[in-house]
Amino acid sequence: MPGDNAFGELIDEYVVECLPLAERAADALVELERRRRAGTGGEELLGSIEGWLHTVKGNSAMMGLAAIQEAAHVLEDLCAALADQRGPTGEALLALMVEGGGLLVDQVRGAPTGAAPEGSAAWLSRARERAGADHAGNGRGADRRRGERRRGGAESDGANVVRVDFRRLDTLLEVLGEGLIEQAALVEAFRRVSRRTAAVPGMPDLDRAILALEKTMKRLEEIVMATRLLPISTVFGRFPRLLRGVAEGEGKRVRLLMAGGDTALDKAVLDRLGEPLLHLLTNAVVHGIESPAERRRAGKPEEGVLSLAAISRSGRVAIEVADDGRGLDEERIRARAAAMGIEPGAEGADPQGLIFQPGFSTAESVSGLAGRGVGLDVAAAAVRALGGTIAVRSQGGQGSAFLLDLPLTLAIVRSLIVEVDQERYAVPIAQVVATVRADPKALHQINHRGVAVWRGDLIQVTDGGELLGTGSDVEPPGERRGRRFYVVISSGGRRRGILVDRLIGHMDVVVKGLDPALGRPDVVSGTTILGDGRVACILDPVRILEQRVPA
Amino acid sequence: MSRAFLFVDDSPLHHQMYRLIFTRGPLAGNTLYHASNGREGYALLTQHPELTLVFLDLNMPEMNGLELLARRAVEGLHPHVPIVLVTTESAEEDEARARTAGAWDYLRKPFQPSDVERLVARALAQAPGTAA
Repeated sequence: MPGDNAFGELIDEYVVECLPLAERAADALVELERRRRAGTGGEELLGSIEGWLHTVKGNSAMMGLAAIQEAAHVLEDLCAALADQRGPTGEALLALMVEGGGLLVDQVRGAPTGAAPEGSAAWLSRARERAGADHAGNGRGADRRRGERRRGGAESDGANVVRVDFRRLDTLLEVLGEGLIEQAALVEAFRRVSRRTAAVPGMPDLDRAILALEKTMKRLEEIVMATRLLPISTVFGRFPRLLRGVAEGEGKRVRLLMAGGDTALDKAVLDRLGEPLLHLLTNAVVHGIESPAERRRAGKPEEGVLSLAAISRSGRVAIEVADDGRGLDEERIRARAAAMGIEPGAEGADPQGLIFQPGFSTAESVSGLAGRGVGLDVAAAAVRALGGTIAVRSQGGQGSAFLLDLPLTLAIVRSLIVEVDQERYAVPIAQVVATVRADPKALHQINHRGVAVWRGDLIQVTDGGELLGTGSDVEPPGERRGRRFYVVISSGGRRRGILVDRLIGHMDVVVKGLDPALGRPDVVSGTTILGDGRVACILDPVRILEQRVPA
Repeated sequence: MSRAFLFVDDSPLHHQMYRLIFTRGPLAGNTLYHASNGREGYALLTQHPELTLVFLDLNMPEMNGLELLARRAVEGLHPHVPIVLVTTESAEEDEARARTAGAWDYLRKPFQPSDVERLVARALAQAPGTAA
């Protein structure tokens, strides 16, 4: 146990250092297996794998983590043995190593609690036996080669990189947020004063100083945000290993292609992205990609292709999870939805949207991994909770593609500030497509729903006060006098107008979490503090668009 | 009297471990220098002839332990400063090469604080001028 060791208190640092190494080794083993199967070598990976394992072994030994040390050691020995093994023997050996790599990752991750992953003891005895058999024949020769390769495989983290506890970056962001609020307060106070007092000496200087401050704060904000960004490969990294297990369990052959791993996202977003992505990938393997026999019959290669790609575009990140499987079975989805009593949403009979409805699943057989009662609706909810959207494109027999659109960060949101019934609200700009002066002649009532003609289309218009529960009950619907504007929000192909009293302006708001005990309507995603010190709720356009608002 | 020690290792974890050993117990109160690769380590060694002992990791990016030793031998840099090469088991050949390259001793992982303390005590006993 770490507690008995002289360095036991460094257990967190141990995990920080060793977990990425163990993951890299485990992923590279999966890649090696794939390349060997495809007959494209991959032997050059062995040197790096051994290097990582060696460091994990040494560090575990220092920490007195004997079980992890042993696992890394045996894996290292197997690497040496594998170099000379080909054919079925080599394949079996590599499969054993891939399994061991996954277990090693779990072991390192569980080191602080000392939890041993299921099956690790059994794996170790099998692997030891195997390594022993190879050692008899190979001995020092393999050991020596290993040393040579290791030196070649060492890699540099770069001399100018420092590690910082992420909590410090959170504090930095908090302080920045306070600075932004104070700056907004200063600007607002200055405007008030300058409106009342004409030409006081020094006013232009003050104006210039404020402008300069705004510029600097903007830069500071960009820099702070940049320090929080991590490449999405930190999330992608564990997928090959996990999916390999899923594919094996399903008896399918799947090749995972990944692109855009260097696309950067806020760590807070990344932390919550792994689960939904893994869900979509697992779903694609279980439901999308066909069995090798079925694929052969359909004239496709036996190995299915699953691709995961990320790309950043203007403050957002788009992620695509695509497979070349059978595509969505629209008939089955529709029938299943009817059987489950799920009503088609606002998008009408679009079966592709149905799969994101709560509780939806077409899985008939309960498979080991995808049959846990968790459907795509959960992945979709997780994506939406991040302020993102999810859509699906599918073609029968050709495959499906899930398209995710996510914000770079959850911390600062560029927003339109509006006023409804003397309360101010922030509407994230990302989902605002237009602000329109509410011409009473252009607003109509159809079936007790407010609608407006906007850019030639009929869109539903909801009263802001009604949406937020601030409107008076006295006014009959349709008689919303005084609301002078509506804001058109859009997400996932849906649009809606929200009637507001005033448009205040644009502002970068710092998101404060929402106390769940407050029990706000779920059209609000968080709060922020405005320049005048007032607290404002941040509206959640995605949730608003999902709501079927009563007349 | 405060003494100076240099640690050359690419593993932040190991620097933390040295820091634990050298901030508590008998070794507390000394000056510590940290380098994350051989190149940085060599630069620090150049600047600090007063070092009591250097702990040098074998496997490192940008000049490994053996390369650092070799360069020091060629340039004749502060030959009086003893350097301990830190290795793992299964590296006997490297250890032999390290001796040839001018390492004063080696330390095998996993080591305990007491192993480090013993090495420091021995280095002090040998150091010129300590007896006075």
